[in-house]
Amino acid sequence: MEVLENIGIDQLPQAVERILAHTVGGRNKLVFSGELGAGKTTFIQALCRKLGVEEAVNSPTFSIINEYSYFDGALGSERPVYHMDLYRLRHIEEALEIGIEEYLYGPDWCLIEWPEVIESILPDEVLRIKFELATNSTRKILIL
Amino acid sequence: MNLSNPGNKSYFCGQMNITILAIESSCDDTSAAVIRDGNVLSNCIATQEIHQQYGGVVPELASRAHQVNIIPIVDTALKEAGINKKELNAVAFTRGPGLMGSLIVGVSFAKALAMGLDIPLIEVHHMQAHVLAHFAELPHPTFPFLCLTVSGGHTQIIRVNAPLEMEILGQTIDDAAGEAFDKTGKILGLDYPAGPIIDRYAQQGKVVFDFPEPQIPELNFSFSGLKTSILYFLRDQLKANPSFIKENMADICASVQDRIVSILMNKLTTAAELTGISEIAIAGGVSANSGLRSALIQQGEALGWKTYIPKFEYCTDNAAMIGITAYYKYLEGEFSSQDISPKARWGM
Repeated sequence: MEVLENIGIDQLPQAVERILAHTVGGRNKLVFSGELGAGKTTFIQALCRKLGVEEAVNSPTFSIINEYSYFDGALGSERPVYHMDLYRLRHIEEALEIGIEEYLYGPDWCLIEWPEVIESILPDEVLRIKFELATNSTRKILIL
Repeated sequence: MNLSNPGNKSYFCGQMNITILAIESSCDDTSAAVIRDGNVLSNCIATQEIHQQYGGVVPELASRAHQVNIIPIVDTALKEAGINKKELNAVAFTRGPGLMGSLIVGVSFAKALAMGLDIPLIEVHHMQAHVLAHFAELPHPTFPFLCLTVSGGHTQIIRVNAPLEMEILGQTIDDAAGEAFDKTGKILGLDYPAGPIIDRYAQQGKVVFDFPEPQIPELNFSFSGLKTSILYFLRDQLKANPSFIKENMADICASVQDRIVSILMNKLTTAAELTGISEIAIAGGVSANSGLRSALIQQGEALGWKTYIPKFEYCTDNAAMIGITAYYKYLEGEFSSQDISPKARWGM
């Protein structure tokens, strides 16, 4: 476990770097937990920029899954990034019916907010990131 | 006579009775509609009621639910319209944006039906359709007009030059306006979707709490900061008085709603000034909000706008708007080929 303290908006790029260090070897399924307003979507916006996503990264609360793309230098091709928000789902069946397992066990990046409803089907190697409010302008980020 | 033709361009091209079946399956609801010459003959949305008819249950959100719904809902739409499927001239569907698994159901069904009937297939952009929902009924805006499209997933100001010629002038950089309502509702302990509940409380409350207006450049929107400031405000108030929310629910809702509406209206007003356009419309689920409706009407009276608010059934996701859009595409000869696939993300 690693703890990042006092992360404000200016420290986001460094925090993204720290988290990416945990994703080497294709560990690209990330779940983000934390209260409303804890900064999950803001963090994911910064992470997507770092991956090379150029299009608008906005909240998928309504759409459930937003799909972005970036150019993967190692593969030499465009790859998708899936940004999910399971806030609106009440039962795991709803997640299964939208085909969540295909994303979770596929090759591409999955950045998942409000993952609690799919806890029982998350892959073992999932990277868990927890946001805690520290002050109004800073957060504590736990990488589990 | 075709009442739904836009006034400043004649679309009459000699062929009457263009009948289109439209399918919408981009998110939660499965919907089918029949449109003849731009007029809505039927507009059906899969609800519990229709399901009971077929003895099923409705999971709120599921591509498998769309699979279950699609045939019954198309059947119902054809029956309500009094149309035999052999009378159809085209099949239209939502190609995107939306949830991939849900879109696939509508696309596959539309392709199969168009092939079976040997009629053209028409792809429709969901957000373009929200704007053209204004042409489901009279009176409708004249071109060019501005449309503020606000829903759970979208917040956009669109300049509409012609039925199929639109330009996004501004949009949200984070949360949508509808989401601001829903997330505020979550903080307040209200049920999802919270928009209508907040609206009801707001009508009994006064605007007494001041939440900051975000300073976002140009015609773009941001609602993420508002959510956070509401969160901090309530957290501080609850420390002093644990029943603060309960005691002030109506005033909190009125204050939040007032701020969301003023953010929308200020940008819309700027857009009207910059473009010199005074035909102003709103679309999407949030246009059902009473605060937004009255603010639009007031601002319209103050600034000499002609304002347009669609009927509620055309504000939320529905297939009629897909059919209306498809009608204009039909007139322009914009058909899709059978090798088309859905697009979950699709810019306008």
